[in-house]
Amino acid sequence: MVPEAAADSLGGALDVEERTGNILATCFTAMASPCELLLHASDRAAAMELGTLVAAEAWRIERKFSRYRNDSVLAWIHRNRGAELQVDAETASLLDFASRCFELSDGLFDITSGILRRVWNFDGSSRIPDPAAVERLLPLIGFGKLSWQAPNLLLPAEMELDFGGIGKEYAVDRAYDLVAARRSEPFLVNFGGDLRANRSPANGPWQIGIERPDSDRDAALVLELERGALATSGDSRRFLLRDSVRYGHILNPQTGWPVAESPRSVTVAASSCTEAGLLSTLALLHGAQAQTFLEEQGARYWLLR
Amino acid sequence: MQLRADAARLRRRLIAASCALLTTSAARSEEAANPGVAGALTDWLLESALAYYHEDGRIQAIEPVVNVSKNYGDGGTLGLNLTFDSLSGSSPNGALPSRSPQTFASPSGKSLILSKHTYTTAPGDLPVDPHYHDQRFALGVDWTLPLTRLTRASFGGKLSYEDDFLSSSLSASIAHDFNEKNTTVLFGINDENDSLHPIGGAPVPLSDYELFEKTDHKSKNGTGLLLSVTQIMTRTWLAEFNVSLDRFSGYLNDPYKIISVIDASGNDVGYVYENRPDTRTRRSAYLENRVGWERASAALSLRYMTDTWGVHSDTVQLHLRWWNTERNKYLEPTVRWYRQTAADFYTPWIGDSVSPNEAYASADSRLGGFHALTYGVKYGIKLDDKLNREAAEINIRVEYYEQTVDHGLPGAGALQGLDLYPRLNAVLLQIGFDY
Repeated sequence: MVPEAAADSLGGALDVEERTGNILATCFTAMASPCELLLHASDRAAAMELGTLVAAEAWRIERKFSRYRNDSVLAWIHRNRGAELQVDAETASLLDFASRCFELSDGLFDITSGILRRVWNFDGSSRIPDPAAVERLLPLIGFGKLSWQAPNLLLPAEMELDFGGIGKEYAVDRAYDLVAARRSEPFLVNFGGDLRANRSPANGPWQIGIERPDSDRDAALVLELERGALATSGDSRRFLLRDSVRYGHILNPQTGWPVAESPRSVTVAASSCTEAGLLSTLALLHGAQAQTFLEEQGARYWLLR
Repeated sequence: MQLRADAARLRRRLIAASCALLTTSAARSEEAANPGVAGALTDWLLESALAYYHEDGRIQAIEPVVNVSKNYGDGGTLGLNLTFDSLSGSSPNGALPSRSPQTFASPSGKSLILSKHTYTTAPGDLPVDPHYHDQRFALGVDWTLPLTRLTRASFGGKLSYEDDFLSSSLSASIAHDFNEKNTTVLFGINDENDSLHPIGGAPVPLSDYELFEKTDHKSKNGTGLLLSVTQIMTRTWLAEFNVSLDRFSGYLNDPYKIISVIDASGNDVGYVYENRPDTRTRRSAYLENRVGWERASAALSLRYMTDTWGVHSDTVQLHLRWWNTERNKYLEPTVRWYRQTAADFYTPWIGDSVSPNEAYASADSRLGGFHALTYGVKYGIKLDDKLNREAAEINIRVEYYEQTVDHGLPGAGALQGLDLYPRLNAVLLQIGFDY
């Protein structure tokens, strides 16, 4: 999503703007998304100071795990395929997390499935890949094929890792902790729609607009959030259409083909953004069973088909 | 139903996986985002408190405590603990009240007849040594280090010094996490060596107070084992269960405690020094549950202890904590109920017809049967905003303690009408600062 040229200009400007309801928003761009820290009843100096902290953390995580930068830890791992590497503790905890998710989802959640992007390009066109090309990639997918015992990682030749499915939610939680350690007044961290708030402002809960997938402007629904996290998975602008069949962009790592009848978008509420993101992603991977899955998990969710 | 249970289990595991990711990487991320001084400061914690303790008409104590701990990013911690106690006031010497004045010698090196320091107790009053004075200085160190991702080892040492007492102890424990870190099992051992140098010497047990038969210094040794299981029941409920066994051997008497010798008509005819068995084995079981809500938390704990001296005790303690809506102030009321049975050899006095030569006996009220209630409240104000430190907090605690003797042996003859078992009331006031 991030053009190669833009990757080097990581970092950038912070703007503080006033919003209704006595809220100051510190805005910046990270992970190809508009990001913001919302502070209730704050002064501009605090908004700038905490906003700087949040942005620095977002950029740090992006720099470390981006697949578009050649100085990231991810690029270093990819350069050293076939060799046993000792990864740092933060990378290790993300790999441990990915490993647990892979096990718990019976292989549906797989950070090695990004390689399918080589054949799938969800640009709204009708270019469905050659099934043989998809078939050829399958041997390169499967977290179980990695040798991983923290902190030692061995990534087999030609395989790829992609932290895109967890990085943004993880960054929200990290940034949240940084602010929470310094401020007890109400605040909300929002990285491109994945967000977390510590508590409700005095004048009422946070109003969260969830973007309607097929429209750029109108919020499809407005949620009220007192505290906790929301994460949204799904993007209806990324699909292929052929012979009246809509191929959504959620790919099953076991077949290499899009999950049939998956919802356009799923928003889940949970106490951490990581947990909310994990539930919303897993729901999409359950396709037609998404709603049943969320019901079984006892999750609070909003689903758009 | 089975499916529903599986789904619930999956959800718990997803939550556990998320929590593990967020907690393990928190410290490092904090450092990365705050290079330099700010990053270096957030990994240690200071806890300090100044306590004032006052027993009605008896002892008062002032106790400053300082705790410093340092967290290493890999899960290791190093803690240092300093305590200084200064006790002064009046301490019961074990003798009973009497119809006539009673004169005692302060435990200097001299017998009652030769002693320059004596004190006299008025008729009807509980005999207390008014010159009681003690200072204690204690230093503790503990070190925890991760062995594997799921196993931690801890080592500790403690030294405690008083004018007449030196205690040193060493401890070690190993803890292992199971079940996606939802269960922790800990096994610990502890060894303590004490050496006692009572002022004026250690009295010969059951010897006559006036004959002043004293010996040199004494020692005792204690060994303890602890097995604990901590279980995260739900995201807001934590339970801990532990059992412990410890054994002390050596000189277990209190060298300053005496027992009144009473004749058939209830008059005191003299005093003897107490005599306790030279071993004591204690077993205890402890259960604690902690539950948290959005703006409140509760901790309920139960303890049962039994020992080879015949003392059985029960403790029930409840802590509640309420936060205000801004979560920067809390109020924590506490209530604790304690009951113990008397040691088999506890006796408020000895009859003069009984030859006590081979018997164990103590009139120390701490070995008698009693129950006690403690009510307290703590009020804390978080200073995290003002000082830019997550742990920064100032707090104040007030506790009131009330102890009542159970089943005190009624006095006959001249002892009738005397308050043989006065209640004990105490107040504790503590001011704390964490940073």
